[in-house]
Amino acid sequence: MIRDITLGQYYPGDSVMHRLDPRTKLLGTLVYLISLFLFTNSYVFVVAALFLGTCIVLSKVPLRHMLKGLKPVIFLLLFTAAMNLFFTKGTVLVSFWKIQITREGLLQAISMGTRLILLILGSNLMTLTTTPTRLTAGMEHLMKPLKLFFVPVHEIAMMMSIALRFIPILLEETDRIMKAQLARGADFESGNLLRRAKSMVPVLVPLFVSAFRRANDLAMAMEARCYHGGKGRTQYRPLRYKGRDLAAYVLLLLYFAAVIVSGKWLPGIADPWVKEMLETAKGLSVSMSETY
Amino acid sequence: MKKPFLKIRDLKYEYIRRDEENNVEGITTAVDGVSLDVEPGEFIAILGHNGSGKSTLAKHINAILFPAEGEVQVDGMNTKDSGKLLAIRQAAGMVFQNPDNQIIGQVVDEDVAFGPENMGIPTKEIAERVEESLKAVDMWDYRNASPNKLSGGQKQRVSIASVIAMHPKCIVLDEPTAMLDPRGRYEVIRAARALNEVENITIILITHYMEEVIHADRVFVMDKGKVCMSGTPREIFSRVEELEALRLTVPQVSALAWKLKKAGLKLPDGILSREELLKALKDKELTKKKKSGAAGEGRTQRAESEAVDPKNCRLIADHLVYVYNKGTPQEKRALDDLSFVLRPGEMVGLIGHTGSGKSTLVQHLNALLKPESGTIYFEGSDVFEKDYDRKALRGKVGLVFQYPEHQLFEETVFSEVTYGPKNMGMDRKAAELSAYAAIKRVGLPDECFDQSPFDLSGGQKRRVAIASVLAMKPEILVLDEPTAGLDPAGRSELLSMIRELKEKEGITILLVSHSMDDVAEMADRILVMDRGRLVYDDVPQEVFSHAKELEEMGLAAPEVCYVLRDLAAAGIPVDTTPITLDEAARSIREAYQ
Repeated sequence: MIRDITLGQYYPGDSVMHRLDPRTKLLGTLVYLISLFLFTNSYVFVVAALFLGTCIVLSKVPLRHMLKGLKPVIFLLLFTAAMNLFFTKGTVLVSFWKIQITREGLLQAISMGTRLILLILGSNLMTLTTTPTRLTAGMEHLMKPLKLFFVPVHEIAMMMSIALRFIPILLEETDRIMKAQLARGADFESGNLLRRAKSMVPVLVPLFVSAFRRANDLAMAMEARCYHGGKGRTQYRPLRYKGRDLAAYVLLLLYFAAVIVSGKWLPGIADPWVKEMLETAKGLSVSMSETY
Repeated sequence: MKKPFLKIRDLKYEYIRRDEENNVEGITTAVDGVSLDVEPGEFIAILGHNGSGKSTLAKHINAILFPAEGEVQVDGMNTKDSGKLLAIRQAAGMVFQNPDNQIIGQVVDEDVAFGPENMGIPTKEIAERVEESLKAVDMWDYRNASPNKLSGGQKQRVSIASVIAMHPKCIVLDEPTAMLDPRGRYEVIRAARALNEVENITIILITHYMEEVIHADRVFVMDKGKVCMSGTPREIFSRVEELEALRLTVPQVSALAWKLKKAGLKLPDGILSREELLKALKDKELTKKKKSGAAGEGRTQRAESEAVDPKNCRLIADHLVYVYNKGTPQEKRALDDLSFVLRPGEMVGLIGHTGSGKSTLVQHLNALLKPESGTIYFEGSDVFEKDYDRKALRGKVGLVFQYPEHQLFEETVFSEVTYGPKNMGMDRKAAELSAYAAIKRVGLPDECFDQSPFDLSGGQKRRVAIASVLAMKPEILVLDEPTAGLDPAGRSELLSMIRELKEKEGITILLVSHSMDDVAEMADRILVMDRGRLVYDDVPQEVFSHAKELEEMGLAAPEVCYVLRDLAAAGIPVDTTPITLDEAARSIREAYQ
């Protein structure tokens, strides 16, 4: 049943990772993502993988469940790897028909693939250990400085949480309307694209009408409960940093330092292929700067 | 004399309809000169048919609408005073009709905290208020649940808790039970009464379920924007004919007492409960001699369900099994080995509380859902065979969903109704003729044809939706809760239209309903479902003789059955088989003649 779709992908649990403040996790994820893109040498990936691995173990989310998160992006992953594999110029390793696989291409594909996998697992870990509500609250807090630039931060957060509340309801409603029209002989599957698009009108019109009716009802219900914007509002569960958050920030800082050390100074003592890869990367960045 | 909590003087409110150029198209006066006072701690009920202005009146108490003329004073504050707006909304909380559209939080306790947060209550106190309010409506165990997983009655109780958390002096409930099943209605009304009695919170309940009103201190009846009757429930419910003229009814027991009185029995005015009726009847002189064991005699014949001749069946459901979320922890058997038949020209009632699998079942009948095992035969063929024309089947087995008006999409009523027949492959002329007949059949006036379905009243919209299924010329019509949300007169009009479909057009009808009274009046046979199983498949008299078993399933027999049984138990020789109001009245009258 559509009703049972849970938005986001929260994995219920009570681990250290679950209990961290959402702001810590949001900032941590941000730092982690940046760290993946700062350097291109493979030591960084080892450090990043170790760090992420530790976090996953701490979160007590089963690894299998984590890896499931890669499923939807597997196509993107293969596509990126293939693009890198076949279209990077350099020393030819294998060549058949019109396709050449170069040494640089191979390295590039591996490094891009690893980077993407780490990136997706990293951001998934955040959404798996944080409820949508806490995530919204965290974002609202972190975006607070934007208020200076007249960004309606509270309103954006309120909109997000209302959307999270109503998306399952509207999905269920879509299902119901589609069935009601099927019962009136509607056909959503046959015909060409235009015909199929047209056959959705009897679903979309009632859906919009209902969405507006619900919006109207909800606005009234909110007003009736004294809602008057973010001014003077207190919070039921305010976000408060705890000791563990401080520890997490320290660890994050250490991790970032390790990334910089391994990315910047380790190549000097590394084996030749890393050097070569670094050069390829340089060449790539030069060619990229030429194209742009 | 106490200072009134609510003081309304000459209140008038108009809805102004505008066209696209912002010109005034028409003015509807929704509330027209209402004056009333409510004392602190009173339980007030406001009755009225759909469109009588009662909801508009309610929204003035919470300062969501503002009077065009006259004034509204809540706890000494005038709603026109914009500086007092939040104080008024805090003093008079409001619970609305639709359970889904008034819950803001993604988790139950967050929703309850929403009001106090808006009021700027300190964090620590919010937590206390959340706990005390959820406990007051008995929903504390669900504090971490997602509202989407709750039943309608539970959602409404959360909404009540969300209002209590603001520490109001008064709660206005605007048709809080209109979208609920009987069990949910009972839960909500019980919660409201408890708040009134224990916390002394003023309750203003707007409803068109008469049974919910009998405990009120005072009742106001509205019509055309005016308060046209007021008094205690006893006074109001003794004026049966006046209420009927206002498109309302009285509770079934009061109706029975009134009928008996009209037939010459001397009974006091305005009997409200079974106990009162029993007491009044017990003191009467009996003319007939008492005889023992009156109950159980004169049972009507059982349905001849044993020998099913497939030739006489229009539709056969054969050992249906349906499983939701197969292979997940939430796996649920929604249909569990369910078999029954529908014979031509029958009117069959289907009852069962929410979650018993009724809706899942009806979606199998026209092959919208495919069973895990078992099948449906329609006129002898298996509808889940690979090349069976299921689209044509949906024309033959018409299914009218709950709140069917939510599926309307066309610009005019006429094109709305031709959508179905066109899909069935009728040519334009045939489709239009069929649509014309269907619109006439459901009793819509000619002016409606070119109107937008969205401009019609709720009851009319529902008729359009039913016509849009009828226009496909179904042989079987399945109606899922066709009367939900309608006012009493709307309900009985729609039911008599459905009865005509059976009697004049010979359409086989399966009526899914929460209302035992409706099913008792209408059905030739009743199917009772409980947790995915078919428990009873029998004539109504037989089914309703199992009152105790029905109660265990969250259902009940019609009120009159209990009255008759009570009388029989008290030694009054009444025939206990009747299940409808008229039959019951006759049975009692005979005992006293």
